[in-house]
Amino acid sequence: MESSDANFPVRHRNFSLETKGNKTEIVICSYEDHILVIATQIGAMGTILHARKEEGMSVEPTFSVSVIFGKRDEPMLIATARRLIDHISSYVPSKPLVLSLGLKDHSSETLKEIVEAVIENRLW
Amino acid sequence: METDYDQVLRSVAQVKIAGDDGVKVSCFTEVLDDVTLHFQIIRLAKQIYVWIGYNSAKFGNLYAAASTRPSNTVSVTSVLGGTSDNTGSGIARRLVMKTGLNIILACNIPKNNPLLEAKAEKMLIRKLIDLGYTMPTPLRAT
Repeated sequence: MESSDANFPVRHRNFSLETKGNKTEIVICSYEDHILVIATQIGAMGTILHARKEEGMSVEPTFSVSVIFGKRDEPMLIATARRLIDHISSYVPSKPLVLSLGLKDHSSETLKEIVEAVIENRLW
Repeated sequence: METDYDQVLRSVAQVKIAGDDGVKVSCFTEVLDDVTLHFQIIRLAKQIYVWIGYNSAKFGNLYAAASTRPSNTVSVTSVLGGTSDNTGSGIARRLVMKTGLNIILACNIPKNNPLLEAKAEKMLIRKLIDLGYTMPTPLRAT
């Protein structure tokens, strides 16, 4: 479901998906200088990550991904942010990502489904 | 005070509420004199995310605020934006006092503008009451 208010400067999209018996609510917002993705199963934002593409001289892009709030010992969350910023930066190179993952289940299958659903419904 | 606020207000864009009962997203815009404030409220089950845009759609600084033990005093921290800039942190803190919920606030209101900050906060609280996310009477004196 997308916001149809043409006057509001921030576009958003809001939907849910079922993974492994858990209902995941996803909200994607596109600001002028950031993309915000919220994926929650617990009714709260949970762990918040920040990811951006680094300006570099090399051919291969480099990314800076970090947890700015919450669990710092879950590499799968960082990998998820990395996967999404990789996708975002190939369309809008200058927009960093703020990713919120409030999940009961951190399995790679769930995260993969979330990434696929976000990309499918992307706003970039 | 309320009538002054009403006089200053010029236009209110339509409020959109989307999503099922899980997550509700509300967006609205208010114009004051020469300043346009955009508001976005995302209501999760146990948390409210708010974005306040000052004349633009820039994300701004991100703060998290909640009641903390032992005495339920409200704590606020800067999550992204990390300067000693306090714009937004006061709003986040007072929103927690008002709603009792965890608040994540993104705000790009510039520094040294306490009057604007206060107006934005008032509009936000009024909208939170209208949406039924909070009670009209404060839980405690600020």
